[in-house]
Amino acid sequence: MIYFDNAATTSVNKQVLDAYYDLCLKYYGNASSNHAYGLESSRLLSYAREQILKLFGLEKTHQLVFTSGATEANNLAIKGVALAYKNRGKHLITTSIEHPSVLNAFKQLEEEFGFEVTYLPVNEDGVVRIEDLEKAMRNDTVLVSIMATNNETGSINDIKAIRKVIDNYPKCFFHSDTTQAITKLDIDYNLLDMFIASAHKVHGLKGSGMLIIKNNIKPLALLSGGGQENNLRSGTSDVPKDVVLAKTIRLALDNQKQSFNYVKKINDYLREELSKIEEVVINSPHDASPYILNFSLREHKASVIVEGLSLKGIMVSTISACSSKRNEKSHVLVAMDKDIRLASNPIRLSFDESNTLLEAQEFIKVLKELLAITK
Amino acid sequence: MEMKYDHIMVRFGELSTKGKNKKDFIFRLGDNIRNALKEYKSLTYQVRMDHIYIKLNDENPETVIERLKDVSGIYSFSLVIKTDTDIENLKNVVLDLLLKENKKTFKMRAKRADKLYPIISDDINRIIAGHVLKNSEYKVDVHNPDVLVSITIRNDAAYIYTSDIVGAGGYPLGVGGKALMMMSGGIDSPVASYLLMKRGVAIECVHFAAPPYTNAAVIDKIKDLCKELNRYQAKIKVHVVPFTKLQEDIYKYSNESYAITIMRRMMYRISERLAKKYKCLALANGESIGQVASQTLVSMDVINAVTNMPVIRPLAIFDKTDIIKISKKINTYAISIRPYEDCCTIFAPKNPKTMPKLEEVEAFEEKWDYESEINDCISNAETIVVTSENEDNLKNYL
Repeated sequence: MIYFDNAATTSVNKQVLDAYYDLCLKYYGNASSNHAYGLESSRLLSYAREQILKLFGLEKTHQLVFTSGATEANNLAIKGVALAYKNRGKHLITTSIEHPSVLNAFKQLEEEFGFEVTYLPVNEDGVVRIEDLEKAMRNDTVLVSIMATNNETGSINDIKAIRKVIDNYPKCFFHSDTTQAITKLDIDYNLLDMFIASAHKVHGLKGSGMLIIKNNIKPLALLSGGGQENNLRSGTSDVPKDVVLAKTIRLALDNQKQSFNYVKKINDYLREELSKIEEVVINSPHDASPYILNFSLREHKASVIVEGLSLKGIMVSTISACSSKRNEKSHVLVAMDKDIRLASNPIRLSFDESNTLLEAQEFIKVLKELLAITK
Repeated sequence: MEMKYDHIMVRFGELSTKGKNKKDFIFRLGDNIRNALKEYKSLTYQVRMDHIYIKLNDENPETVIERLKDVSGIYSFSLVIKTDTDIENLKNVVLDLLLKENKKTFKMRAKRADKLYPIISDDINRIIAGHVLKNSEYKVDVHNPDVLVSITIRNDAAYIYTSDIVGAGGYPLGVGGKALMMMSGGIDSPVASYLLMKRGVAIECVHFAAPPYTNAAVIDKIKDLCKELNRYQAKIKVHVVPFTKLQEDIYKYSNESYAITIMRRMMYRISERLAKKYKCLALANGESIGQVASQTLVSMDVINAVTNMPVIRPLAIFDKTDIIKISKKINTYAISIRPYEDCCTIFAPKNPKTMPKLEEVEAFEEKWDYESEINDCISNAETIVVTSENEDNLKNYL
């Protein structure tokens, strides 16, 4: 099998899984129990928390909330902050290219809670224009949420420039959905009030994620209960899961630079070969994350090609896995002003360091064959 | 030449006043610094009578700086560039440095430790400042400069720096001898330990345990507290004294309202014996005047009557809020408030005496042979060594 769908999910690192297995057997104590065994669990949990914050250099300024994944982390950041600070203002800003876990959280705030949301457009590269953000900012804007890297195209937003704009509005918080960027791209995390990670996108476990949030921000908890996670996310701590998130992040960060250079070679090769195929329009801009390469077909239906590739053992996505069931056009490509035909027929390739150039060559060969024989 | 901070210059401060002991102090500080930084293997050290120089050899200065802040006996320290004393070279290095800092105003402060250097300090300042003014946008501001460039010229090299980082102060750990700290696990005793260590006094700890009324979690708590204190003293011994029998007898033979007073007297007696056994020169604890019944001056007098050893109470005059502030700073607060019973809280009487009378106390104590029980306590005490190294294997999971 050739697996080019690493933006949807990745394989689990063996070291992570081994540690998880061991932890489940040996440390099942409840981290909130006051006996010595529970204390071990609680100690493990605090080591994990500390290690992750330290890896990002944020141990003094930020806190970490373990969550069930990116969706929960985005929801807590967005709904939690909007609801907790609604007395400051009810205007929110995000972009039209966000992941559904962001977009739909905003929709809910708009429809159920009376917030006003500005959805920023993007340029043809899928990047937010700073002047658009400047124009949208208001004195009652309490939250700006802009993704670091887009999950369909790999387009990268300019966090530094965005921060600069928001700095003029001291009441406003800045959240970034960093799911596709964390441990992959260099980001100055200090600039973010809130950001998130999903373990399974970086060779960790599914059902595991986190929100990192500045110490002075107190979102409204979405899950009430026993007050775990500093009262921000109640529910018995899943110690083994949270502990191996620390391992997952550490391993991924150790490997970041090497992995980046490696997938860039694969991406560069594919970009070059794909651009030689007449029917192909490459949607990912040149400076996109090398982990993602998105292109559309002018003639063929992408779903047919994706299925054909799958039959040949090559796994790729049409639009993101989270949106693909709905048989729609890509809201991201639409926002990038691609024509409807292209927006409805994208193919997304996404890589990790276990992919090889040979696989890339094989992919090009099979794709050409499929384009030749299908309508 | 690439310009970068390649050394850390450590200043001693208070030690300078210490006359002929100075050498011992400085060597001790040198050892303590080496010990605190031993995980950074490529660092090299030069211990001199004026400063200690740490050569970074490409170690990340930020983590080294964080560690140094905890080493007692350091007045301040600076990241420095060590470079050739040639004035042309100095002109260029300073210009480079200022351009990198990217600020607007500066001031020069040169000093010749090497009086044979051919240019006097004023002229060094003038020559270098002139060069900077000619080749950059920088302006001189002698009162409020954005960057204060200090140059110390020695016979072997010039040291250039632009910032001072405040150290922990006090004296190098160990020069003040060793005290036996009575460590309950509460908020106060770790803070008292920290203050003593800062003053150069090393500690061993005594902890009174009351199994089965208290459990192993309390010992873990003590260990965790010592782990935090390992930042200031790399190895801490804890003597755990089984205290149950003695405590039960105190309640059997004395009036309840006197129990705490007598219990503290027993603790002092045991501590004194342990201190002598382990060559500690003083007893220490976290008592603060008036905080609880056993800590009124009258109580302290009656309790203290059992020993002639100096008893150091670093927190005697501190307010609780200030103690809490320090405990948060040294990361012991969250551990101290873990909800475990210790031997003091388990038998806490309802109306403890705040004005105990020595004669009455002595009358109670005559009722039974507590001496042999004290001997049992001492011979059954167990010693735990807590070091920064025996990191628990839990970290392998991370």
